Amino acid sequence: MTDGAVKPAAPAAPALRGRGTASRLVQYILLQVVIAVLCIVLLRLPLPQPPDQLEVGGFSLSDRGETRAVTLPDFVPSRHSMADPAIFTGHFAWSARENGHAWSVYLPRFTNGVVVLVNGVEVLDSRRDPAANRSDRATPEIGLIPASLLRDGDNELTIQLFVWGPVPGFLDKIYAGPDESLRPYYEWRTLLFITLPIMFSAWQGILAVILIVMWAMRRGEAAYGVLAVAMALGATQAFMPTAIDQPTFPEVSNTLLASAPLESACVLAFAILFFTRKWPRVLGPLIFLPGLTMVLIGLFADPYAIRQSFLVLGIPTLFAHLAILGIIVAWSEMRKQDVPSLLLGCAVTIVLTTLTHDMLQVARLIPDHRIFYTRISYSAMLVAIGVGLTWRFAQALNRVDGFAAHLVIQLREAEEKLKAVFAREQERERAAALARERARLMRDLHDGLGGQLVSIVALSERNTAGAGIGDAARAALKDLRLVIDSMDDIGGDLMLALASWRDRAAAQLRPHEITLDWHAVPPGLPVYPSLRPWHVIQIVRILDEAVTNAVKHASARRIGVSIETVKAADGEYGCITVTDDGKGFAAGDPSRPSSRGLRNMKNRAARCGAELELSSGPGGTTVRLQLPRRFPEGDAAAG
Amino acid sequence: MTSPQELSAQEITILLVEDDPPTLWRLQNALVKAGFDVAAAATLGEACASLTARVPRVLLADLQLPDGHGVDLIREVRQRHPDTEIMVISSLGDEETVISAITAGATGYILKDAFPSDITATVHDLVAGHSPISASIARFIVRRTQTQAEPRGLEIDTARLTPREIDILWGIAKGFSYAEIATNLGMSRQTVPGHIKSIYRKLEVHTRGEAVFEAVQQGLIKL
Repeated sequence: MTDGAVKPAAPAAPALRGRGTASRLVQYILLQVVIAVLCIVLLRLPLPQPPDQLEVGGFSLSDRGETRAVTLPDFVPSRHSMADPAIFTGHFAWSARENGHAWSVYLPRFTNGVVVLVNGVEVLDSRRDPAANRSDRATPEIGLIPASLLRDGDNELTIQLFVWGPVPGFLDKIYAGPDESLRPYYEWRTLLFITLPIMFSAWQGILAVILIVMWAMRRGEAAYGVLAVAMALGATQAFMPTAIDQPTFPEVSNTLLASAPLESACVLAFAILFFTRKWPRVLGPLIFLPGLTMVLIGLFADPYAIRQSFLVLGIPTLFAHLAILGIIVAWSEMRKQDVPSLLLGCAVTIVLTTLTHDMLQVARLIPDHRIFYTRISYSAMLVAIGVGLTWRFAQALNRVDGFAAHLVIQLREAEEKLKAVFAREQERERAAALARERARLMRDLHDGLGGQLVSIVALSERNTAGAGIGDAARAALKDLRLVIDSMDDIGGDLMLALASWRDRAAAQLRPHEITLDWHAVPPGLPVYPSLRPWHVIQIVRILDEAVTNAVKHASARRIGVSIETVKAADGEYGCITVTDDGKGFAAGDPSRPSSRGLRNMKNRAARCGAELELSSGPGGTTVRLQLPRRFPEGDAAAG
Repeated sequence: MTSPQELSAQEITILLVEDDPPTLWRLQNALVKAGFDVAAAATLGEACASLTARVPRVLLADLQLPDGHGVDLIREVRQRHPDTEIMVISSLGDEETVISAITAGATGYILKDAFPSDITATVHDLVAGHSPISASIARFIVRRTQTQAEPRGLEIDTARLTPREIDILWGIAKGFSYAEIATNLGMSRQTVPGHIKSIYRKLEVHTRGEAVFEAVQQGLIKL
């Protein structure tokens, strides 16, 4: 089998498709021609023959009261009766010197039955050998001649040839000689024409069982059902006794022996269902018609009629079925280019070639040696069916594997998606819980502490003596707002927290007539997934401290806050700078902010992993807070 | 923070509703000193009585009152006197207080501990059609435009906000000044406060009849 024919054709473009199919068809037909030629060469190969000096000669034929000299191989006309065999009489020489060697008479081929007599004594009757009675098997016979029968010098060999049509009787050359010289030829023919067909019949039986199981498990696939019927028919008929064997039910035996048209119809039906996946409702049943007609003839007409009808009805039916099968398989091969189509296509060619060869032989259009190869060549079809089914099975398994692998991947994806959804849901739940808690706390503080602090502010404003208390209450309110605000989920966007701080700081500075210059350099600060509420509180308190210092100690008129992302060698980080235009402070200055406040700012910065730089001079003070790239998880400096 | 004032302080009548006497005194003092015509009420009942006597130009109302909830007062005034500007007085400026007042019909808020100058400036701004908003309130509203369902008591419908209004809210939430927002969005700085009032108006929850009327107007319901 050439590999190239199995591979799918590459061009998929519609314009090229027509040309591709045509070239594939040519390739396919060429392949079938090569196979047919090979078959013919093999069929014409002569079978090995014993040496010529062992051939029995000088035959005379006595048939229907006529006697004439003949040379084997010879034919006798077909007849109805088993009672009047054609009698061939020949002679061979035997020498008493050969007494140590056993002698045999070897008949390579005859139709349909022989009784062999040596010097008038019967040594062989082929009619008792069921295999020999089947005309489709080229059964050889060998008979050992008892030494006591042989005479020194000339010996007479008599062959009674029984013929039971429909084809004429045939008797090939006959050999008499030492058993050791003749038996290898006999064994070779037995292997070829008896053992091999039995092996293939067994194989067909196994196929039938496999297909029945397959069909039983998959009732929807009628293709396997009809193929199982075909295989069962073929396997059964191979072991049926012929009429000569006097079977218990001769009609059934005869019908089964002539069941080839029915078997071929089933194979064809299988091919139609398997390759086209459609069953032609009108034409489909027609293919069974000849086979069923022959069943009726076999069951109800006389045995001769069934044999006759096999020749005139059965053989043309086989040809027709094989031809249709060949066309269907070729069409399927053009379309799908798969292994089952190609193998079955080649098998059909082999069987068709062989059947043609056999029939030409029967019609004596080519030299007739009465060797029929059709049944043996049919084994090519059985092999093709077996390989094709196994191929399909393996492919289905591969597809199942692929599907399973696909499912596993999909399952894993779904699982991951679910995990992500679950994590998101958990995160959302956590945020919602925090929001609820914050709302509750806010309500409590609003109703209680907040209102009380506001009252303190209001009360303190009634007389000037309470100014300090009022400031303290205001600071407490501001801090309360900061704590509540920092609990809000800002998603790591520190800008949002700073904006709220800006509102509060501006309100705080307005009565002091100090301007708050707010400058956020786009895109502002990076988003920190690690940012937690307590980081926000620390940062805002640092900024509060810086603003308070500017107001209380530096007498500033303007406070600037600038927010930006700075690019450094080791990456980007956020930076918040608070500047004032106050008088600044130097060490030892009595008006400088308490060293405790400055230390506090540094501490808070350190706890957030931030760096604080403070510089002060006559032009003002600058507090620069460089944020970390990642905020620490725990409060490192607290412990 | 001053804006063009069409009315002088004397022409602006104010009804101040606050139950905590020191706070009431403090706010009233600040407003009177600034020249406003102020009527004060400590309870819901007093407020209603005052409303029948005179409809104020501006209502400043606390939410926690001894005989009822300020939200009811705000909703009532909003429906019956649509020309009255309403502000809620909040001790913390938290979104719970402010948003619930806004959905009832308020268009501004004032902190109870605000300095007198801030208090008077806010009232003038409000009368001029400019509503105040804090970064945290803006943040809250913007968050609601992104995630609809949040398990909190506050229900607000942000569906009617335009993309531009949401952009303005984002700018405020991120701490940008009105001028910066206006430059970024290619609009006049003066129009930003008006947009905020419009945002508040859109967040207002109307009564059922009004809602149906509005839905029909917008073509949401076909009769």
